[in-house]
Amino acid sequence: MNREGKYKVVLIEPSEIVASGISAIIGKNPEFTIVQTLADPSYYNSNDNADVIIVNPAVIDFNERFDMRSYFGGSEAAIVALTHSNYEESVLRQYDECIGIYDNASRIIQKIRNAIEECIQNPRSDINELSARERDILKAVAKGMTNKEIADEFNISIYTVISHRRNISQKLGINSIPGLTVYAIMNKLVDMSDFG
Amino acid sequence: MSDKTRIYTKRMKVSDLLACDSSLLSILQRLDIRLGFGEATVAELCTRYGISADLFLMICNIYSFREYVPQVESLGKSDIKNITTYLRASHRYYTGVCFPAIHESIHRMVNELDEMSRKLIDKFYDDYDNEVNSHFMYEEDVVFPYIESLMADKCMERGKYSISQFEHNHSNINEKLNDLKNIIIKYLTEEYSSPLRFELLNDIYSVENDLRKHSLIENKLLIPLVEKLEKCHE
Repeated sequence: MNREGKYKVVLIEPSEIVASGISAIIGKNPEFTIVQTLADPSYYNSNDNADVIIVNPAVIDFNERFDMRSYFGGSEAAIVALTHSNYEESVLRQYDECIGIYDNASRIIQKIRNAIEECIQNPRSDINELSARERDILKAVAKGMTNKEIADEFNISIYTVISHRRNISQKLGINSIPGLTVYAIMNKLVDMSDFG
Repeated sequence: MSDKTRIYTKRMKVSDLLACDSSLLSILQRLDIRLGFGEATVAELCTRYGISADLFLMICNIYSFREYVPQVESLGKSDIKNITTYLRASHRYYTGVCFPAIHESIHRMVNELDEMSRKLIDKFYDDYDNEVNSHFMYEEDVVFPYIESLMADKCMERGKYSISQFEHNHSNINEKLNDLKNIIIKYLTEEYSSPLRFELLNDIYSVENDLRKHSLIENKLLIPLVEKLEKCHE
C-alpha cells in the first residue's frame, strides 16, 4: 500500500484504449491507485512493490506463461489477468483472478478485491524463514548438485526441486548458484572445505 | 500516470536535459562529449559530434522514462552502426569506470571482514567480473562483427549465425549483481557495517540500473533493427 493506504496497481496492457478504460474505472475507486501503466512487461520493475499487477496474458511469451509469479521477479502482488479473448484453463490458473473485457466496472473492482483477499489469506509461503527441507535443498545446491541429482537423493520429482529452489531464492533474494553458495557457507550450512 | 508526453526533444538544451536527469551525464561521458557546450541544443550538439540526434534522444528517453517505448520505425540501417558504436562505448565505460570503482570499494570493504567472508566475497566478485567481461567480449567479437558483415552485404555470413541466437545467449548479468547486493545488505554480519558498505551499495545500484537500460537498448533497438535487416537478406 502507498502512504495514503491505497493499493498500488500496475497495469500492463498494450492497447491504449483498453488501458485508458481500465485506468478510468480503477481511478474512480478510492481504494486503488495506478502507479504504472506499461505496454510491455519487460519494463516492469519488481522494486515497485505493487499490490496488484493487472496484465494482459497476450503480452507474456508463451513459454513463460506457466509461471507468472517468478516472471514478475517473485512478486508478492496479486496477479490479475485482463483477457480480450479465451485462454486455456492452465494459463488462467496462474492468475489470482481474471477480468474479462466485457466485465462491468463494479465487477472489475470486485475481482481486484477478491484477488487481494486471496493473496492475503493464502500467502505463497512463509516469507521469512527457510523450512528444514529448503535448507537441505540449499545445502545440496551449494555443493554443486544438479536438480536431477537432488531429486534422486531426496526421492522427489524434479518439479518439486525446482519449486523448492524458487521459494528459496524468493525468500533470500539470491538467485545464482554462486550467490546461494556464499549464503550457505556464511550461515554454516556447508563448510568451505567442501570446495577445496 | 503516463510519461508519454514528457519526453525530450531535439530543440531542448542539453543542459536542461541534465537538469531533468543527472544520470544522463554518464551518456555524455561515454559518447566523449566534452563539457562546456554552453546553450547548445540536442540537435546542435549531435551535429557537432556526428551523432544521430534521433538515436541520442531515444537513448536519453530510455534512461530517464521507465514507460518510454522507443519507436524503432523512425530508425534506419545507418543507425545500427551508431547503436553498436554506442554499445561499445558503453562497455568501455563499464569496464573502465564503473566496475573498477566497485572492485576498489569491494577490496576496501573485505579488508575489514574475517578471512572466510573475505575469500567468499572476493571469489564471488572475481567470477562475476569474468562473466561480465566474457559477455561483453562475446558481443564485441561475435555479435557486432556479424551485424557489421550483414550491413556490408556479406551474404556468406548468413546461416552461420542469427541475431535470435544472441537473444538466446543474452544471459542476465544482473542476476549476480543483485545477489551480491542482497548478501551485503542482508547477510554480511552487522558488526562490519560501515560507510564503505553504503558507498559500495550505491555504486552497485547505479551500475545495475545502467545495465538494465543497456539491455533495453540491445533488446528494444538493436535486435529489432537487425531482425529487419536479416529479413531483407532472406
